[in-house]
Amino acid sequence: MERELRDTARRLLEDKTVGVVVGYSWNRKKTRTTPVFVTKPEDAERLIFNPLCVNNLSVYLTRKYPDVRALGRIGIVAKGCDIRNIVVLMAEGQIQREDIYIIGMTCSGVVYRQELWEGELKPEIMPTKCHNCDVRNPHLADTVIGERVSFTPPETPQGVVFDRIREIEGMSPSERWEFWMGHFSRCIKCYACRQVCSLCYCERCITDKNMPQWIETSAHPRGNLAWNLIRAMHLFGRCTFCGECERACPVNIPLNILNQKLAMVAKEAFDYSSGYDPEVHPPLRVFDPEDREDFIK
Amino acid sequence: MILRRDNIKRLVELVTSTGGVFVAPVVDTRQVVYRAIGSGEEIELNYILPRNSFKEFLFPQTEVIARFSMNKGGVDLENMDITPPDTVIFGARPCDTASLPSMRAVFTWDYIDEFYTRREERITVISIGCTQGDDDCFCTTVGLSPESRKGADIYLLETEQGDFVVESVTDRGRDFIQRYEEVFEQRGDVKTKALFMPERIDGIDVERIKGWLSKKENYQSPLWAELARKCIGCGACTFTCPTCHCFDIMDEAGLLEGERRKNWDSCQFDFFTLHASGHNPRDTQFKRWRNRFMCKFNFYPNKFSSRGCVGCGRCIRVCPVRLDITEVMEGISKEQ
Amino acid sequence: MSENWEPRIMAFVCNWCTYAGADLAGTSRMEYKPNVRIIRFPCTGRIDPLFIIKAFENGADGVLVSGCHPGDCHYTTGNYHARRRWIGFKNLMEFVGIDTGRLHFSWVSASEAGKWVDLINRITEEVKKLGPFLEYRRLK
Repeated sequence: MERELRDTARRLLEDKTVGVVVGYSWNRKKTRTTPVFVTKPEDAERLIFNPLCVNNLSVYLTRKYPDVRALGRIGIVAKGCDIRNIVVLMAEGQIQREDIYIIGMTCSGVVYRQELWEGELKPEIMPTKCHNCDVRNPHLADTVIGERVSFTPPETPQGVVFDRIREIEGMSPSERWEFWMGHFSRCIKCYACRQVCSLCYCERCITDKNMPQWIETSAHPRGNLAWNLIRAMHLFGRCTFCGECERACPVNIPLNILNQKLAMVAKEAFDYSSGYDPEVHPPLRVFDPEDREDFIK
Repeated sequence: MILRRDNIKRLVELVTSTGGVFVAPVVDTRQVVYRAIGSGEEIELNYILPRNSFKEFLFPQTEVIARFSMNKGGVDLENMDITPPDTVIFGARPCDTASLPSMRAVFTWDYIDEFYTRREERITVISIGCTQGDDDCFCTTVGLSPESRKGADIYLLETEQGDFVVESVTDRGRDFIQRYEEVFEQRGDVKTKALFMPERIDGIDVERIKGWLSKKENYQSPLWAELARKCIGCGACTFTCPTCHCFDIMDEAGLLEGERRKNWDSCQFDFFTLHASGHNPRDTQFKRWRNRFMCKFNFYPNKFSSRGCVGCGRCIRVCPVRLDITEVMEGISKEQ
Repeated sequence: MSENWEPRIMAFVCNWCTYAGADLAGTSRMEYKPNVRIIRFPCTGRIDPLFIIKAFENGADGVLVSGCHPGDCHYTTGNYHARRRWIGFKNLMEFVGIDTGRLHFSWVSASEAGKWVDLINRITEEVKKLGPFLEYRRLK
């Protein structure tokens, strides 16, 4: 698989199909993977692919990275879940299909808690998204690398994130409030959740607007709550559950629960799941006169 | 002197019962963090390094420095005057304590920041030599080690039995031991555990890095983009770093009253250097990352003769894209 | 909670329907609870979820968002878009533990002065039962 990936990348760079291949490589000690930008054909040997390749590299496709775009057409190594984000970027008019070359990787799952990795992919070290993945074989790619994976996701979504959502839904409002305040109070406003998200591509985030100021930048519970609510809201009907925000959070706020809850609302209310078809409009861009309004009294 | 493990609880009681604050490592959501505790039961002593540095007890992430309110005649302004309590930082790591002189250098340089100095005057730092570490520790590479007493008032070494050999480093440490002498015992025959010495990374030469960085032409070197293009611009590294000290002053107010707050800021944010005109001198992410690296290994040591990086490795552990500062150090050490 | 405590309710309403409806209630000399503070917007489509958060931050005990009935929007589709947004935001607020009794959505047309009166009376009673929103106000 890696051989094929490297050969493909080299060929793409040699025949100038792309100016840069964004992929994964090892860190110095070969314990973790890290994004790499390959611009010279001979450097294609640095590319790797394995279950430690968790990053969603589609973040580098956004307008936040003019220096990456300046390298030429971008070839991107992407798992199915990463491609879902690329699809959203296309649906929202952020990138054109022809501006990128997708090297789709078939995938059997990634490792969420990498300190538990012992060289073998086991269900208990995989994130919830992998247990319910229906894009292990890339659904949109210029070339697909790796053997076809046969996997049927369970009928009803399973995993710790869904268990927690059900648990929270069973709580009283004050218990829910306490649960979230406990987590949000740890927030240090580093904005890693925003920066790592390929769908948070605004050039000026609402939290950076200070005339007038909308969200308090102070890392106190009130400012933290406002920030976390608005971050989740701005991803409503867009988030693909790639899980990058929670992985990036240095204080372990369970953002997946929040995002996935809203994804379930979008599914239930608009029968929409993001990241599958670039031709389908995101739900908040359009409307249906028959949308439910049982809550509007 | 010996501090028995069982006696730590008593020490917490003694400090907190007289109005003092006792900060120690505790477990919160699968992470060990420094936190002000109420009882010694909470302390976790099986840890490599807490997620946060203890700088937040000297330089809080959010601090009110003034209050204002509107009245008919104008504006009432109230300056905040702080009288911090005696604070004990227990279980600090030698890398973290070594950051204290660096923080002091900044906050007492051209202006004495009393919000910092008053807290620092009341703080007693008790560090414990590391008996465990991980791949990301690199203190030995920047000239420190688990044996370093720099910045500590009292230095502890764990014994085979799990007790601690006590060594006072400063006058403040000696006073502390005297004040709470009932919890300390005379030393018997004890054997201390071996310290964890991170392997020194051969390819790194801090002096050489400094030399390369101070050459003006290297500021625009293509190496920066190559080494740091993957940075996504979150502030996780700066907020967990024990020596990062940048802050922003914000007025956060309602209609009639509000507060002027001093909040941590990060040079990794695109907003950090954005001019009112719309021009941003650090217009791409790798330039912001370059600034952080320059700050640690060039500006800081040149200006203050204290270290900018203590090798704790937090920035490596928290980085979502695994931008390893030691790999950049290695890359630059190779340059002429 | 003291006997005399009165809730503060913020109403974000659209200019063309609900504001006119409330105005009609006033010019018709209809009486209703004085607990509501009205902010007028061109359209419900303009009402950002942040406004609601800001209202709670600034001491509102309850919030009402109201505009034209579907099909009546002055700008044709503003309320349809708003409705989709509310579906997400209401679920989000409930999920983090904000009591449903504190956040209300409604359609009130320019002629529905009576509906406006009933709505405000009902919401005021409901929020009064819940008491002051101290959980939010205590956040610092």
